[in-house]
Amino acid sequence: MDTECDLLVIGGGMAGLVAGSIASMEGVSTIILRKGQSATAYSSGAVDIIGYLPGTSEPFSSPTEGLAVIAGVYPLHPYSIVGYNEDVETENIVSEIIRRAQDAITWLKINLENTITPLIGTFDSNIYPITVLGTTKPTCLIQKTMHSGTLQECEDSTLLFAGIRGYADFNPSIAAKTYLEDRIAIGKPPRKVGRCVIQITPFGKPFNLSSIEIARHLDHEKSIEEIAKQLKKQVDQLGASHVAIPPVLGLRNAVANKKILEELIEADVFELLGFPPSVPGLRLQIALEEIYRRSGGKLLVGHEAISYSKTGNKLNYVTARAPRRELRINAKAFILASGKFIGGGLSGDLSGMHESVFGLMTITGAYLLARDIIPSRMTNRVAISPEGQPVYSCGLSVDPFFRPVREDGVEWASNLFAAGSILAGYDYSTEKSGLGVAATSGYSAARSAIDFIKEVN
Amino acid sequence: MNEDEAYDYVKSTLKKERITPYRQEELEYVKSVENCINCGLCINHCPVVAAVGVNRFSGPRSIAVELSRSPPEFWSTADIVYLCTGCGTCREVCPKNVNIPEVVNIIRSRIFDHRPDLVPKGLFMVREILTKHDLAFEPWEDKDEKTESRNMRLERLRIPFVPDKFLENAEIIFYPGCQAEERAQEVREAAKIILDYFDIEYTLLEDMSCCGLPARLIGDEETARSLGMQLKEKVTKLGAKKVVTTCAGCTSNLSEISYNYDWGVETVHILEFIAEDIGLERLKEATHRSNELADVHVTVHDPCHLIKHTSRQIMEHALNILRLLDGVRVTESEAYDSCCGGGGLVSYHANDVATAVVKENLEAIEKTGADRLVTPCPLCTAQLETNLYKIGSSVEVDDLTVFIAQRLPMKR
Repeated sequence: MDTECDLLVIGGGMAGLVAGSIASMEGVSTIILRKGQSATAYSSGAVDIIGYLPGTSEPFSSPTEGLAVIAGVYPLHPYSIVGYNEDVETENIVSEIIRRAQDAITWLKINLENTITPLIGTFDSNIYPITVLGTTKPTCLIQKTMHSGTLQECEDSTLLFAGIRGYADFNPSIAAKTYLEDRIAIGKPPRKVGRCVIQITPFGKPFNLSSIEIARHLDHEKSIEEIAKQLKKQVDQLGASHVAIPPVLGLRNAVANKKILEELIEADVFELLGFPPSVPGLRLQIALEEIYRRSGGKLLVGHEAISYSKTGNKLNYVTARAPRRELRINAKAFILASGKFIGGGLSGDLSGMHESVFGLMTITGAYLLARDIIPSRMTNRVAISPEGQPVYSCGLSVDPFFRPVREDGVEWASNLFAAGSILAGYDYSTEKSGLGVAATSGYSAARSAIDFIKEVN
Repeated sequence: MNEDEAYDYVKSTLKKERITPYRQEELEYVKSVENCINCGLCINHCPVVAAVGVNRFSGPRSIAVELSRSPPEFWSTADIVYLCTGCGTCREVCPKNVNIPEVVNIIRSRIFDHRPDLVPKGLFMVREILTKHDLAFEPWEDKDEKTESRNMRLERLRIPFVPDKFLENAEIIFYPGCQAEERAQEVREAAKIILDYFDIEYTLLEDMSCCGLPARLIGDEETARSLGMQLKEKVTKLGAKKVVTTCAGCTSNLSEISYNYDWGVETVHILEFIAEDIGLERLKEATHRSNELADVHVTVHDPCHLIKHTSRQIMEHALNILRLLDGVRVTESEAYDSCCGGGGLVSYHANDVATAVVKENLEAIEKTGADRLVTPCPLCTAQLETNLYKIGSSVEVDDLTVFIAQRLPMKR
């Protein structure tokens, strides 16, 4: 079997879907190959841009501030690469980076507006949504269902954490305690926090419940009214102005469910950020796929890129394998957005770090060759520390067009671009920058690939 | 005790320990579980979990990280692993390519070997028919009645009868599969119409037998292997280059066993054959204003055995074919690729689960407003038709092969 397109994107997470959608919207015929779901579907569903400078514990107040610092401290960070362009003068690099990242994020926000998961948040400030553990984390965009309104500003706000009987991923007592201690320590509202447990029985049983079945259950008509009855009592008793629930408010109807619930219980309702694989992460994945499909692009699920053909400086085709068939896909340009260790774009074993499809050069966060580096040498003993895990910063080195480069610094192929977490030079988990880098680099790589395709035509 | 003696001693205890060593081709599947990162993405997508919840069916992650860990205790998972419809969704969304559907088959085969008492009773009925007739469905006792049933179907669908062909040295073997052979005979007839119309030199098997997929799903590896071997012999003896089938399950299973057991013969679904060998242009020409069928608004169901066990590209062919047929308008259902519940032989022993799984499809199909649902698999066709009928839906169901054959003109 053979097929062809202008642009072949390998990987269907945030970076691949943003890149594919932009290309497809510009009339470029696009195929996205996806072998499995990965970090985007696995995420909490909030879009981080930049939360911290590695090694520090004070979060940035806004992506604008964070990007300016990153550009200064890490000139080879994927965000910084966005600013390197022949037309940009040195003194304008920082504003170019901010402009490009902002363009990508604005694009994302506009396009997600009419999907199952519209986003809320601005580039001018980071926000601090609450997690199921009762902690907060800096992020830029959250799904509208996670928006807690005036909870953390209004002096007389009262928050009720509502757990679900038989649902083990959220313990309202622990969350309430942690959150309240935290608020008292920094002297900010809400000053009163309560907790309760409600009952939701998707299959008639109040035990052994998973997030997905509760979410699907709440998509059904009338089920939200049922929990509103239970919540209303608790809200009145505590005098709660806000209610925090685990991220299970629905798969397709979450936004409408939030609204109905708020009307019925007369308090603001919002979802907490949850553990992976979260329902909001799945919503984000579904919504991004929907944007891509609407743009006219073809999503080829269940196919894994296994080999390629290259002549000189040009990549000709990639062979993809489905369970029982192989397919050759000819394209003019290619974007590699195959992810890092979860997605399988990079693999590490005793022989070193490898890029899975093309065997591209891998480097460490310190820009040394990672080809022979054993992953276990790149880890910290402390699992979660501001320094992070160096192994996360490994990946591909790219030129200003987001083309992966060889050891001599020249691009590996004139028509291969890379985006997303496969890029080296940043640690998403300490920076809190994962989906932001994915969206921005996906956006930028797509721009380069589109220009390239138009030039060839 | 030397090493060999020790090995023999251990081997002799296996039966008592209820362990059957993994075979070579199973090792790849077993080892794929090592890659599982326990992320649980599969739970969000499993149609059985969606239909009955994790308390009844603990889901693919549980199969990978819990239920498949201890061979001597495989028996304790029987109430769960036989509820898997084998749709392959988990393997498709898995970032690490963990082959859970095959792991399920492995566990089922061990339960069948060591604790047949725990295999759902309904499956033994299927096995009895399989071992007795080499077919998954009880053959017609009266051949005339079978012919009559066929003729009634042809008449209702307004498609002509093309006599069976049995040739030696034909390049193509048409293999209808058990369902089209014994039950949905119109599908078998429709494929013959298509092949005949385009002057394809093909043959049927003189003695049709099952590809062995149902036996694998029961866990009866021995019957599965012997059916596979039997079919290999019949196919290779004819010296054909390609086997064409109309059944999604046969497509994936034949592709697998022909690869595993070196048949040296390619096996394809008739949609692939139309798109790649006959050519869409020829089909377009042939069907253009060829009949007086009224315009029809259809929606499509993607059979799991084609998209998740073979390749999603095959349904691209289906859509391309539908797009070129005159008077056919297609609306995609939201659940187009969601399991129909008919897989994994679940409906034979836990019909409530199969019915709960198909529900999502029914709602989405109704929502499209289509007059008709088409799908390139007789099993999906039957499962969806029965369940749509039960809810009083006005949507008709056609196997896609029949739908195409209806739009071909009578041959000159």
